[in-house]
Amino acid sequence: MTDPSLIIARKEIVDHLRDGRSLMAGALYTLMGPLITMVVSFSGQVGGKPAFLLSLMSVFALVSTFTGGMAVAMDITAGERERRSLVPLLLTPITTRQLVLGKWLAICAFALGAVAVNIAGVAAVMALRAPGSFAANGVPLASWVLLGLAPLACFAAALLLLASAACRTTKEATNWLTFVVFVPMLVGMFLVFYRVSGNGWLTLPVVGQQLIVLRALGGAPAPLIYGVSLALVTAAATVPALAGAATVLNRDQVVAG
Amino acid sequence: MEVQELRKRFGAVTAVDGLSFAAADGQITGLLGENGAGKTTTLAMIGGVLKPDTGSIRIDGTDEQGSLNQRRRLGALLDHTGLYTRLTARENIRYFGALHGLRDLDERVSRTLTLLGMDALADRRTGGFSQGERMKVALARAVVHGPSNLMLDEPTNGLDISSVRALREWLKDMRDRGICILFSSHVLEEVRALCDRIVVLSKGRVVAHGTADAICRDTGCESLEDAFVRLTAREALTQ
Repeated sequence: MTDPSLIIARKEIVDHLRDGRSLMAGALYTLMGPLITMVVSFSGQVGGKPAFLLSLMSVFALVSTFTGGMAVAMDITAGERERRSLVPLLLTPITTRQLVLGKWLAICAFALGAVAVNIAGVAAVMALRAPGSFAANGVPLASWVLLGLAPLACFAAALLLLASAACRTTKEATNWLTFVVFVPMLVGMFLVFYRVSGNGWLTLPVVGQQLIVLRALGGAPAPLIYGVSLALVTAAATVPALAGAATVLNRDQVVAG
Repeated sequence: MEVQELRKRFGAVTAVDGLSFAAADGQITGLLGENGAGKTTTLAMIGGVLKPDTGSIRIDGTDEQGSLNQRRRLGALLDHTGLYTRLTARENIRYFGALHGLRDLDERVSRTLTLLGMDALADRRTGGFSQGERMKVALARAVVHGPSNLMLDEPTNGLDISSVRALREWLKDMRDRGICILFSSHVLEEVRALCDRIVVLSKGRVVAHGTADAICRDTGCESLEDAFVRLTAREALTQ
């Protein structure tokens, strides 16, 4: 492995896989949705409504794309500044672009891992509480995960990187990143309870991801072209966020306090 | 290493104000100054992590300030050790060696660990290391790629007496191998004991340079401490 971005990504992944407490907290956060839905499913009112249970869990899946990489993002940018390990890294012969790319890849790995764990939790809950319903919605759910959640996790990783790169300490980053994570939670909950019409919303990151799954569960799945468009728009939105993170890391304040 | 007319401002504060000096190969050049004199900012500009407002920096004849080429020629320990505590000493050093694109990476890392007498610590996570042990890892990280120039910013901060002595011997050994060492400190005894030449900074400017004896002679003082106080007081009066 000689590419600096891959060297950085590998180091960050190995480093954070050793942070057992953070991994445990991340896993609990990621499985919170399926666990809550499991409890709710025992209620007589919604227990027999698989679509409702899935739509509830979809909000938590949306949130997991952001929370999955949050701890890593904080540690490898704001944490790096706080423990003064960023300057030695900037002294090596790598470009800021390579540095940002490497860190983003590491955050993506954890965010995508969180999505995978969350979906496994969703599948387990549906298998227990509404057998057959997960398989019955297999195609739309798979396209939701691949075209919706996976690109969103990568976009979220870039946003988290940008926000935490601007912070001096992990404490400061925790405050700001909480606001960032609040956005998908708010959007997801709003869309579960309020109907939004018009296909234009389907291509808007965060909103589109939630609408695609809700429409599929409502029996009126959006045409595949919207899923593909959403994936492309989300991927495209990732680029300026990464460029912003590179600009932040090039500022004098990052080194001079 | 040669810097010419280096200037750097942070908002209304002038950190470095027209600084010029040279540090030769096979010598330890000391940057001596009070807190806030501009030592760390100067080293950060030479290392390419801060951009000077004006001025030029030449390293081994190249003047592409902050370029990857210049950074390959430099080893630096600025400000703090900044280790990754969940990684072992070997992994910390290996990571930086890999970023320098070393081909014989494992061999270079092992050789550097041996050079610094760290074989017994090599595969322990750095989280539980003493300050002296952390400093050794940071030094190993700075020299693993075999730089021809080395910059150290107050490397003896927090070290015990035996660690300071070991560090001095190690630096003299590096100097004797022909490496250009730029060493910043505000501890006069340390600079006197170690440095071949001294650059005295005050308020971001060079107020004296030369050997310790020459600086004492030029200022008419018997000790380097008296000379330093006289030079910095004179600079404060002229501002």
